[in-house]
Amino acid sequence: MTPPTPPVPPAPSPAAEADKRASFEREALVHLDSLYRVALRLTGSPADADDLVQETMLKAYRAWHQFERGTNAKGWLLTILRHAFINEYRRRTRHPETVDIDAIEPFSVFEEVQDEDPQGTFFERIVDDEVLRAIDQLPEQFRETVVLSDVEGMSYEEVARVLEVPVGTVKSRLFRARRLLQQKLYDYAVGMGYIKGNAGNAR
Amino acid sequence: MNCRECTEHLYEYLDRELTPQVELEIRDHLATCPPCGDHFDFEKLFLDFLRARCRARGAPPELKRRILDELLDE
Repeated sequence: MTPPTPPVPPAPSPAAEADKRASFEREALVHLDSLYRVALRLTGSPADADDLVQETMLKAYRAWHQFERGTNAKGWLLTILRHAFINEYRRRTRHPETVDIDAIEPFSVFEEVQDEDPQGTFFERIVDDEVLRAIDQLPEQFRETVVLSDVEGMSYEEVARVLEVPVGTVKSRLFRARRLLQQKLYDYAVGMGYIKGNAGNAR
Repeated sequence: MNCRECTEHLYEYLDRELTPQVELEIRDHLATCPPCGDHFDFEKLFLDFLRARCRARGAPPELKRRILDELLDE
């Protein structure tokens, strides 16, 4: 006995396809810049970021019927992007961290500079590329948290959902990541002579 | 609220993640405590700086075109 053949789903009408594409362009494609920025920081390479974003958009388009209209499309897209990154790119782009990030206790830059430059004007002299380079040097868990929160302006709750960690974890990673980043940029500024710094001071 | 409690909430305050009640307590403390005020100003400046430096660039225009072409093939 042959099993019953499953019903073939009706092919979507051209009008339905056009509607789908229009709503996808309106609600998903508007987040292209954000997806690209995050992809670039995750992969560290423009070519990989291109591929990752393209793949994410294609996956999202195919799953567009599963997206709940009116909810956070940016978060939904970033979740797809991050899964694609973990499954396909991480292995060949960057190596998983071997450092114990909980052991990182960066010092407070404010305390270092409060006499010389309490307004932190030395930051203003640091150019885009240098800041991006400092972000790229962060451990991956810190890097993704900082990018979603500080660059893309997402709330703790939204970041927690994309990264699939508790809100408390987002908070503690953000604290350490920002401190670490400040420290890197401060060291750079001292090296460049933008600020004298407390050279020789024990930290 | 004392300085230590205030500083513990530093980033949550700057990220607007606190309840209105706690936010108000911090604002009151900052208004009367110049060292904490300076510290919070410094951290706020840093976050603004970070965001401004990192958001300058978006996706390359060719990428958008490639994606749109691909969707048409679906």
